Amino acid sequence: MQKNNIALIIGFCLSTLQVTAQDDLLESLNNEQSKKKSLTIASFKGTRLINSPTLEVVGRRALDFRIAHRFGPFNSGYQNFWGIDGPATIKLSFEYSFDGRFMFGIGRSSAQKLYDGFLKYRLLRQTTKNEMPISVTLYASANINGQKQESLPYYHNFTGRMSYAYQIIIGRKFNEHLTLQVSPTIIHYNLVEKSTDKNTTMAVIGAGRLKFTRSMALTFEYGMRLKGMTNDFSSYFNTASLGIDIETGGHIFQMFVTNSTGMNEVQYIPYTNTSWKDGGIRLGFNVSRVFAIGNRKK
Amino acid sequence: MIYKTTLTLLLASSLSLNYLIGQVVKSESASVNFLSKTPLEDIDATSKEVVSVINTEKNQIAFSIPNKSFKFDNSLMEEHFNEKYMESEKFPNSTFSGTINDEIDYKQDTDKKITVTGKLKIHGVEKVVTLPGFIRIANGKLNVQTQFMVKTADYKIDIPTLVFEKIAQEIKVTVSGIYPLK
Repeated sequence: MQKNNIALIIGFCLSTLQVTAQDDLLESLNNEQSKKKSLTIASFKGTRLINSPTLEVVGRRALDFRIAHRFGPFNSGYQNFWGIDGPATIKLSFEYSFDGRFMFGIGRSSAQKLYDGFLKYRLLRQTTKNEMPISVTLYASANINGQKQESLPYYHNFTGRMSYAYQIIIGRKFNEHLTLQVSPTIIHYNLVEKSTDKNTTMAVIGAGRLKFTRSMALTFEYGMRLKGMTNDFSSYFNTASLGIDIETGGHIFQMFVTNSTGMNEVQYIPYTNTSWKDGGIRLGFNVSRVFAIGNRKK
Repeated sequence: MIYKTTLTLLLASSLSLNYLIGQVVKSESASVNFLSKTPLEDIDATSKEVVSVINTEKNQIAFSIPNKSFKFDNSLMEEHFNEKYMESEKFPNSTFSGTINDEIDYKQDTDKKITVTGKLKIHGVEKVVTLPGFIRIANGKLNVQTQFMVKTADYKIDIPTLVFEKIAQEIKVTVSGIYPLK
């Protein structure tokens, strides 16, 4: 009983202390604020890291216009200015989101005259206090090979031109500097060149960034093929890229070296045909420009 | 026994808290808006997730605003505001706590100009400031309003040269809160 009385007094004193000074007035407010969940922001600067989609989606009512460019391979030698002379591939794409969670986009790449449309959805979002420790984003793209019929003798009808990529992007921003993500991927081609080729394959893409100033980051990605599309696994290589991100307000510049020429998942994941080992790497850059579209003043 | 003691402790603290809360009024709605005005661009954002309390006995007032709750028209600006300028994941809240320098009879309907002196904390930097304000008591409600300028350099908010012309060096901040007195 006596113990209870002491506890009563201590409790009273403690709580009195809690609300007397003005700083404690603030303390109680901050405590209240800190109970609210806060979503982790800016895990990556852009919606694509080098080739691969990141867990990020463009902001609400934002249009991202991207220009991607890949030069020729380094091992083409001095005569070809180590690939700067080309042959180059270019991709233009637009991405838009109404709500900052669901995004859709279209693109067109000079490699195989490939047209693509894709959807991206932020299923789970990491929170700063780890109630949700990871972000999960779903990605799906459909691609149409736009080359002339003459150059595609084995394509009989339109659906034969179609290929698809599906990804579950699982990532975590560990701190201000480090973000990592891993994306199990399925690639499907409606029609493949040889009867021994497979229509569907799987891969896992690992990607990350190391932000070293508030506007610059080192970026890297690697795609591990679990099966090849063709019988001979070693006739193609795993995609591997290393780059740098520079963000300047409305623009993001991404510069890197990569062994892949194609810029769509259906191309660079199963069909990268040059390797880092023999200098089959090339310089590339992406430029992203975000426009605010469809904003209304309240 | 320990359980019982803890229970008593909790009961005691909650009882005394309730007793003291009688002097503390909490905002039913409060908002903070800021405006950066330059010849090139006006940028403004508003937060409605502001919480504020006034201790009517001690004439003290406090505000806390989660930086991420500021809504911009341009979502990319919102991200940069949090990621690059306010560093919201390191410094989640902007706060003010201070004392109202004027005598106020909270039981009487009034309109009154006041000044408040206290600590303004933005981007982890705390500064003692005196802010002008306006107070209105009517229909059992207390209404507080203030408008003041904040220099970004004072709070170590670094604006890169590239966007220097688009972001004002002094930001106009407008704060308002409504507190039920009964």
